[in-house]
Amino acid sequence: MKFLDKILGGNTLYYPGCLTKFVAKDLEEKYQKILRQKGIDFITLSELELCCGSPALKAGYQADFKKTAKKNMKIFKDHGVTRIITNCPACFMVLKKYYQEVLGKDWNVEVEHITQTIKNSKFFGNWKPARPAGGLGIGNSNRETVSYHDPCHLGRQMGVYDQPREVIKSLGYEISEMDLNRKNSFCCGGGGGVQSNEPELANKIAQDRIGQAKKTGAKILCTACPLCYLHLKENAKGIKVKELSELFNFDQDKNDNK
Amino acid sequence: MTINRQSFWDQDTKTGLWRIVLEYQDKRSKALDKNNLKEESFREEIYQVKSQALAQIDQLKKQAVVNLEANGIRVFEAKDDNQARKIIEKLLEGKKRIIKAKTNAFGEIDQKGFLSDKNLQETDLGDFVISLLGEPEAHPVLPALHLSPAKIAQAIEKKYQKKVAPTAKGVAEFARGYLRKKINQAQAGITGANAITADGKIVVLENEGNISLVSRLPQTHIVVAGFEKIVPSLKEALMVVQASAIWGTGQDWPAYVSIIASPSKTADIANETVIGAQGAKEVNLILLDNGRSRLIEAGFSELLHCLNCGACLNFCPVYHQIGSHYGDKYLGSRGVVFAAFSASFKKAKSANCFACTLCSACLENCPAKIDLPELMRKLRTLLEKEGLQTRENEKMIANIRQFGNPFGKIEAGKIPKELYCC
Ligand code: SF4
Repeated sequence: MKFLDKILGGNTLYYPGCLTKFVAKDLEEKYQKILRQKGIDFITLSELELCCGSPALKAGYQADFKKTAKKNMKIFKDHGVTRIITNCPACFMVLKKYYQEVLGKDWNVEVEHITQTIKNSKFFGNWKPARPAGGLGIGNSNRETVSYHDPCHLGRQMGVYDQPREVIKSLGYEISEMDLNRKNSFCCGGGGGVQSNEPELANKIAQDRIGQAKKTGAKILCTACPLCYLHLKENAKGIKVKELSELFNFDQDKNDNK
Repeated sequence: MTINRQSFWDQDTKTGLWRIVLEYQDKRSKALDKNNLKEESFREEIYQVKSQALAQIDQLKKQAVVNLEANGIRVFEAKDDNQARKIIEKLLEGKKRIIKAKTNAFGEIDQKGFLSDKNLQETDLGDFVISLLGEPEAHPVLPALHLSPAKIAQAIEKKYQKKVAPTAKGVAEFARGYLRKKINQAQAGITGANAITADGKIVVLENEGNISLVSRLPQTHIVVAGFEKIVPSLKEALMVVQASAIWGTGQDWPAYVSIIASPSKTADIANETVIGAQGAKEVNLILLDNGRSRLIEAGFSELLHCLNCGACLNFCPVYHQIGSHYGDKYLGSRGVVFAAFSASFKKAKSANCFACTLCSACLENCPAKIDLPELMRKLRTLLEKEGLQTRENEKMIANIRQFGNPFGKIEAGKIPKELYCC
């Protein structure tokens, strides 16, 4: 039955995006493990697939973007892809919103951000908290606090605010919000090509964001975007920056979740 | 292209700015509550008012001109900044003492040396202060927000040899006394407009009271405004006023709203109409195009929804670092886009088009729901066609074309060094 479903329903592709695939490689490995643990069947295309075209789109290379979108669509179709899961908010936004815009009706692939996939999976919450309630297990008082940075492309642009927070909480962390959160979240400074075009500006913005996170008293600043993650991490002092997948405790998984 | 070191704000200024911005945010929600308004539906209403007006702007403009002139207000249409300056110079011929209230449209057409033979006095407290210190405006609604009362008091003492308490109150009191004399002696006053109605009314809002004085006390009143300020009637104009107050300063209503429908007049003696009683005898409106038609043609008309409230800057990460270096005649992303059509694409690039992170904080905070990040992205496609790309973007696109990723050739086991990403 499952086999038939797969044939009729097509393939789910895990699309890490260039930054995860080539730079923050360990995130890819982690996310693949998480998806498997959540019971999600997926394929990967590694270097067969192209960049989603986000950098081209945002820098103003509209024709290049359209070409890239067309090429990718063909690759996805050749592999029977009907659903894409990505952990990169920029890819998510571009594949969902802008592919639709330039490809029109031909583009009928479902696109999800991985936090949505995790939240909706039937095994959601089925991961032993990395940080169980401490001490004698009384209440939540000993839980480690995390501050969550909303990636602009995930939050403001695509309206995904709750799922990452719920995933974080399901792992046993408490969230301590910054003054600027959700729709008023403050950009990390790296997006829109600014990290390469205006590095000093990008770093100053990130340092301000780090300062805002430190004010919450949290020891960890977590985000669900590889670009925010790398960029904030590079500018962090006095606080640990972690990508969402890094909050999952994989050692424990090996021992306990067999 | 790199932003100059000196362009960055220092830490104290940034901290002060955040304090003000967060207070505003709080006040804004209270003001909405007080007016019984739901943020989202009110923004949608403003969006509809402005987009519908712009869809029929030629017609509304014709009506406005006919009705204003029928009421005795002279209307001049200026194609560009140069023409606007010539008209103003002509209107001010023989006049020496000029006062001016806050008008961003005047700032748009102003130029070094323009009216330098006149005694032009700023009467808006913030503008008065920044012109005193020779500083650029830091915010459209709060031009002097980066200056401390102590610094201002010092500057006043130096220039006017007058001791002033280093407090907001001290500065305001000094300005009231100093400016009142100038206002009384002025021969002409320049203001902007927040809305103009097709049935012939000019609507201006303010808190200080200087606009009322500038528009009424001198014999000649000159209004400078972009034609996009035209809306069908007072109903829409007052919605614009309300939104400007709520998003501009977090007030539920401004202290004053002037509705100017004609020059001052009286018929008290023998029922004979005499123009020029206690108010301005002459009212002149300069309607600016200055790139607006080009902007509409190019598909950027949404930009003309702008009420100039400045809320788009309040959470902008770029503005919080470089302030007035982001944008041109208007600050922030809307200023970059406007510069492309009122000046040149080159200007838009140097106004830091490529500094925008496309984070959307401006859109989220705009009462008129202008999708500024989308306009910025579209503008980049035009700059690209004009060959005005950045070096880094050129490398990025070459990589995408050749290798299918923005970083270039990927070597096994290695992490790319140069990250041209989104
Ligand atoms: S773009 Fe929107 S937020 Fe910015 S000044 Fe104009 S109306 Fe206000």
